[in-house]
Amino acid sequence: MARASAAQTDDLASPTLDTLSPSALRRMSLGQILRIRELGIFVATVAIFAFLAIARPDTFLTEFNLLNLLRSISFIGIVAVGMTFLFIAGELDLSVGSMYAFLAVMVGWLMVDQGWVWWAASLGAVALGAAIGLFNGGVTTYFRIPSFIVTLGMLSALRGGALVRSGGTPITGVGGDQPDFYRFTGAQAFGVVPAPILWFLGIVLVGGWVLAKTRFGYHVYATGDNARAAANAGIRTVRVKIACFVMTGALVGLVGAITAGWQRTGSPTAGNQFELDVIAAVIIGGTNLFGGSGSILGTFLGAAVAGMIANGLILLGADINSQPIAKGAVIILAVLLDVSIRRRQGL
Amino acid sequence: MVATGTRGAATPAPDSIARRGTPLLEATGITKSFLHVRALDDVDFAVWPGEVVALVGDNGAGKSTLMKVLCGAYQADSGTVRVEGEEVHLRSPRDAIARGIAVVYQDLALVDHRDVAANVFLGREPTRAGMVDKARMVREARAVLDDLKITIPSVQTLVGLLSGGQRQAVAIARAVHQGGRLVFMDEPTAALGVQEQAKVLRLIADLKARGTTVVVVSHNLQHVFHVADRIVVMRGGRKAGERDKGGTTAEEIVGMIVGADRLMPAPAGV
Repeated sequence: MARASAAQTDDLASPTLDTLSPSALRRMSLGQILRIRELGIFVATVAIFAFLAIARPDTFLTEFNLLNLLRSISFIGIVAVGMTFLFIAGELDLSVGSMYAFLAVMVGWLMVDQGWVWWAASLGAVALGAAIGLFNGGVTTYFRIPSFIVTLGMLSALRGGALVRSGGTPITGVGGDQPDFYRFTGAQAFGVVPAPILWFLGIVLVGGWVLAKTRFGYHVYATGDNARAAANAGIRTVRVKIACFVMTGALVGLVGAITAGWQRTGSPTAGNQFELDVIAAVIIGGTNLFGGSGSILGTFLGAAVAGMIANGLILLGADINSQPIAKGAVIILAVLLDVSIRRRQGL
Repeated sequence: MVATGTRGAATPAPDSIARRGTPLLEATGITKSFLHVRALDDVDFAVWPGEVVALVGDNGAGKSTLMKVLCGAYQADSGTVRVEGEEVHLRSPRDAIARGIAVVYQDLALVDHRDVAANVFLGREPTRAGMVDKARMVREARAVLDDLKITIPSVQTLVGLLSGGQRQAVAIARAVHQGGRLVFMDEPTAALGVQEQAKVLRLIADLKARGTTVVVVSHNLQHVFHVADRIVVMRGGRKAGERDKGGTTAEEIVGMIVGADRLMPAPAGV
């Protein structure tokens, strides 16, 4: 009966916005509103920013550093939008870091060795990323094996692919004779906003709309929450999951192309442990790692937090060798916090 | 247990129930095996419009398998299924839903982190200009719940926060809203408290009053006798017999379930 009484007050300990109706929002007290997950992450984002601004005013608040920070948040965030769909659908993709390097190398190879024009090579990377996602999703769903294992295998295979295709050394001079490529990937639009930020904002808006407002988005939530219930209701859960893998792969292709254009390089060692940053962003953003709930707004803020933590570790002078330790600790802490909040909610 | 070889056809008088007109759903000679286990052996089953039929039997008797064949979740090895006299091939739950056959599964088949409206419309969300028409979902879900006299304060409440009985009611509301003229319910009262069980039984009676045909798969004979017009007994993958509720007793049904109906009198107090 405890559940029934909870229903009348929508008494969630720390709800994410996707689980709150407008009427429930209106009935919430200030105290309850302050416990909305996305608001909590927003506060954390501001707090970390303020802390770094105060602790390292000379290095953190420089134009150079802030632009770098925004870029890395954008790269993490674009892929994290796809990963949010995957998490909500009850799957994950560990291969995004290696895929990122592989696709950046492919853009370099297509342009430098094959003479492709920049936009064709970029579309090629997006299509190839989608195809890799199709493979990841197809193997996972057809053979009914955990995506954890499939994409762990691909984490290794795609890194190998990047090394083989590039011969182990970065492909340089990408787009040297095609200034438009840099304009769309590395330059500052209107003189201030780095291009990747605009890509990121665009992806966030489209991704947020698709997840929250379309039938596909509804089916992603249903598939991850209770796949059997979704299938019994006629939702094609296999297609839904594969679509999420394909979307994630395509977004990795976009980030690969942006990186190649901005750095004018396709590096086979790029994106090492990038998957950890992306997964951290999604989990910090409040998306349930067991599927069924989460939001793009949360992931947007989670990417900001994950990006600032990585940036802050460097600025605070953390030993380069010990940074992976801190990154791992952040992920585990984020999961612990998330799980303890969910247990309190009883959902 | 003594093998008696009882079949529906072999049992005299009380089994020959004449129903009027064309059955809403009629299955003949349904056989289904899993590897070497024959789960259903030449089973005939029919439901007429407006009836509440109970499908009873011990664990492994084949009642759930029969239900799954009739709602498209399993494919029979042989036999035919007719809906209103027309032969159909139900290859998936989707096919069955399109024919007006809906199922309320035992594990409730709800999506906990979504609200009541989204669950009533699960898999069939209406859209407007490419977006899910949330306002319409809220409005219609409220109307369906009111129509079925289901009391849930807000259709925008997360289903995971509802009581067991309310959840069962949401699942039933979905089956009705899917256009289910025939609703199968798999153990609808099994996981519920006593008061909630009563509510679900009342809901089944309300469905019947609206003209919806219901097949209840259940272990609970007390509930079966409360709501059903007719009781079909499965045993060992075969139909052990069927009885009108008015023409039988719990003792007789128990005897048919365990296969002792004509060998020994039912012990007192069953």
